[in-house]
Amino acid sequence: MLTIFYAVLFYVATLTFVGGLALRIYQYATTPAPLKIPTTPGPTTRTGVVFRMFREVAFFESLFKSNKWIWVFSALFHAGLLLVVLRHLRYFTQPVWFWVELIQPIGIYAGFAMLIGLIGLFIRRIVVAMVRYISSPSDYLMLLLLIFIGISGAMMKFVSPVDVVAVKQFFLGLMVFDWKPLPSDFPLLVHLSLVALLMIIFPFSKLLHAPGIFFSPTRYQVDNPREKRHIVAWAADLEK
Amino acid sequence: MTEETKTINHDEYLDPLKMAELVPGCMSELHSFEAKPEHQEKLGYPGGLVDDWHDKAIDKMGDLVSKYKGLRVFLDSCVKCGACADKCHYGMGTGDPKNMPVARQDLFRSVYRRYFTTAGKYLPKLVGARDLTEDVLDEWYNYFHQCSQCRRCSVYCPYGIDTAEISMAAREILDTVGKGQKYCNEIIGKVHELGNNLGLPDKALRATLEDFEEDLEEETGLEIKLPLDVKGADILLVTPSADFFAEPHIDGLLGYAKVFHEAGATWTLSTTASEAANFGMFIGSYENMRKVSLRIRKAAEELGVKRIIFGECGHAWRVAYSFLNTLAGPFDFLDRRYPVPQHICEYTWDLIERDIIKFDKSKNDEYRLTFHDSCNVARASRMGDKPGGQFDIPRNILKAACNHYFDMEEDTIKEATVCCGGGGGLLTDDLMDLRKKGASPRMKALSNVRKEHGVTHMAAICAICKSQFAKVMPGYDFEIDSILSVHQMVSNAIILTGAIDPVEDDDDDEIPAAAPDAAATT
Amino acid sequence: MAYELNGATIEHDEEGYLTDLSQWNEELAVILAKDEKIEMNDEHWEVVNFLRNYYDEYQIAPAIRVLVKALKKTMGKEKGSNKYLYTLFPYGPAKQACKIAGLPKPTGCI
Repeated sequence: MLTIFYAVLFYVATLTFVGGLALRIYQYATTPAPLKIPTTPGPTTRTGVVFRMFREVAFFESLFKSNKWIWVFSALFHAGLLLVVLRHLRYFTQPVWFWVELIQPIGIYAGFAMLIGLIGLFIRRIVVAMVRYISSPSDYLMLLLLIFIGISGAMMKFVSPVDVVAVKQFFLGLMVFDWKPLPSDFPLLVHLSLVALLMIIFPFSKLLHAPGIFFSPTRYQVDNPREKRHIVAWAADLEK
Repeated sequence: MTEETKTINHDEYLDPLKMAELVPGCMSELHSFEAKPEHQEKLGYPGGLVDDWHDKAIDKMGDLVSKYKGLRVFLDSCVKCGACADKCHYGMGTGDPKNMPVARQDLFRSVYRRYFTTAGKYLPKLVGARDLTEDVLDEWYNYFHQCSQCRRCSVYCPYGIDTAEISMAAREILDTVGKGQKYCNEIIGKVHELGNNLGLPDKALRATLEDFEEDLEEETGLEIKLPLDVKGADILLVTPSADFFAEPHIDGLLGYAKVFHEAGATWTLSTTASEAANFGMFIGSYENMRKVSLRIRKAAEELGVKRIIFGECGHAWRVAYSFLNTLAGPFDFLDRRYPVPQHICEYTWDLIERDIIKFDKSKNDEYRLTFHDSCNVARASRMGDKPGGQFDIPRNILKAACNHYFDMEEDTIKEATVCCGGGGGLLTDDLMDLRKKGASPRMKALSNVRKEHGVTHMAAICAICKSQFAKVMPGYDFEIDSILSVHQMVSNAIILTGAIDPVEDDDDDEIPAAAPDAAATT
Repeated sequence: MAYELNGATIEHDEEGYLTDLSQWNEELAVILAKDEKIEMNDEHWEVVNFLRNYYDEYQIAPAIRVLVKALKKTMGKEKGSNKYLYTLFPYGPAKQACKIAGLPKPTGCI
């Protein structure tokens, strides 16, 4: 029963996540940007834009200019999350890829980094009056969701270990529609439920900042309006 | 300026970027005058709030979201991290939390969420979504006319979210339902009708230019022309109409004329394109912006010029540099060896580099100068070939023309520049309180550089900046003529072949001299 | 929004500028000036009259530089200065003087 529930849950979550995100990306990609609005000074070539975007995505360049505290906490969180997610690839690969094997030990520290970052961001949201003013319930809940995902995950590692081999069997099975029993440890069920929830709300929430950044005209556009005429279809229609 | 005043006094240091204490709602009543029916109708908008404003507004929002990638992505992507919260000069100056960029965006985003997102449709409270009501419309009107669209927030946003884009969209929706702003819309109407923001008719423009030519001849002994509608000239100069009317703008215009004269260029102004400004951008209207741009193309074609050069005007340079090719291009009929369009600073700097114009820097020795980067030039355009040319070229010109130049603090200049407080269609008397508060970060930085280096004057390359500073400077113990045009410095120091030495003018109208009216008229 | 003069009401806009410029007369100018806390004297009239004549010819108020130049000719170098104009019209000659002269407010980036 439990296994069926979680199996269905993860199918639904994955479909929503992938489908929803694909739809958003399609929407972002196909919505025209009629005017050149890169924030200047900006790159004057495509290659330059690739570098700008890389610095933005990898190092949070703009955020670094803005506020060192937010930068530290979100860098900890995002870098931590990235490593943790990569570490979790071992649940979906057999044999486990070499480099995934390699980062296993780092992944544990990354989990803590992620939690520290999240808790820092949460405290900031409460303590800093300006940020408190702009926060909706969903902004707190989103952080709490991630925090509880982290805590439930850490509990399985340090407090009450679960049968990770069985968990892996479950996920490997899911991928080939061959359902294997899922252990019923409480932290595991909490962890998996919250992750599924996160996947489901991803395409409907501010988590869209992840694909969004790549479609942000102030960052992806090349600063060359004088050299190359930029015109989109609906604007060209006005000229007829 | 004596040596004593140059002493650094750290006790008096003012933090330019300090946020005022948060006072919710303190600017909520500020309601810029609404456009009259005749102003609205000239732009193709309804004269007053239409009966079905709600549906019309939501339809327009959907339309804009589907036509502007930026708007859609910006509305979805904000995570409320607060990176922008303390980056707006109006936020810093007023302390109204709705003048934090993210909060200003949220006035709009909350409605977008309610009508266009699943979460907002079913769980509005959870995600801060709300219905569009007449109160919300009023709130939009008030707070989207407290944004100068300066893009400072977009520099600091990790996703590059630009409040200016949201502000423009909100104003476009307000116009569509019949709730436009008088200042912007009356002016755009005048441009459509008479060719410029001032409403300066051809005859008056011609008379004014002749008057200035007399002045130039008196000053230099040379026949320096301000040609109007000259067919076959090489260069069409498009400059803000304030350059024909206000102080210190006029001195900038005289500077351009001297540069053209010394370079031996043939150039002309145009009566139909007697305005560089394009307030169509401020109200977020592609159609109006295009219409205003097309008349520049038409003038260039009719006059048969080879190049188009823009005078000192901030947002106009954004529209010219970033949008003109899109709105009114392609410009195949112009000489493609030159960028289309060019900024007057690019033109002048090139002549300086090629040694075609030279300066007697001592003529500017009475000035200890700093430079204000105008927001639209700094963050929405470029000059020259390299990114950041928009910062270097005007500074290079100033340094070439005067001996004493000092920059203000690094986090208030270049891409981090703080807006003058009057941009984006806010340069109107009914918003004076906001303008003064919004100027405070810049004025504090200027006061600091006065204390540290004895700076006496600030130069700018934007008509709005110049008028705005002339108004707010007295509040910080600066004379109203402490704001200068960049080409005013050029004009003072340029060595004109065959010129007589100017007679010293000993009357004392120098102190409030040049600037005053600029300040007072708006 | 209107001024009262000899029992007649004369409409003005939000900022006190006349809506119908043809309704202006010298009596009204005195009232308009009072609103600006200005007591009209000969020099004020000189400026106001210049503005009105200029407007009649060009359909717009002159640039201050043009005004100053003209006043230099009629009132002499001493009084034909920007500084002196400010003593006459403390809030700024163009704005206050235009209003008193019954002319529309200049618009634009000024």
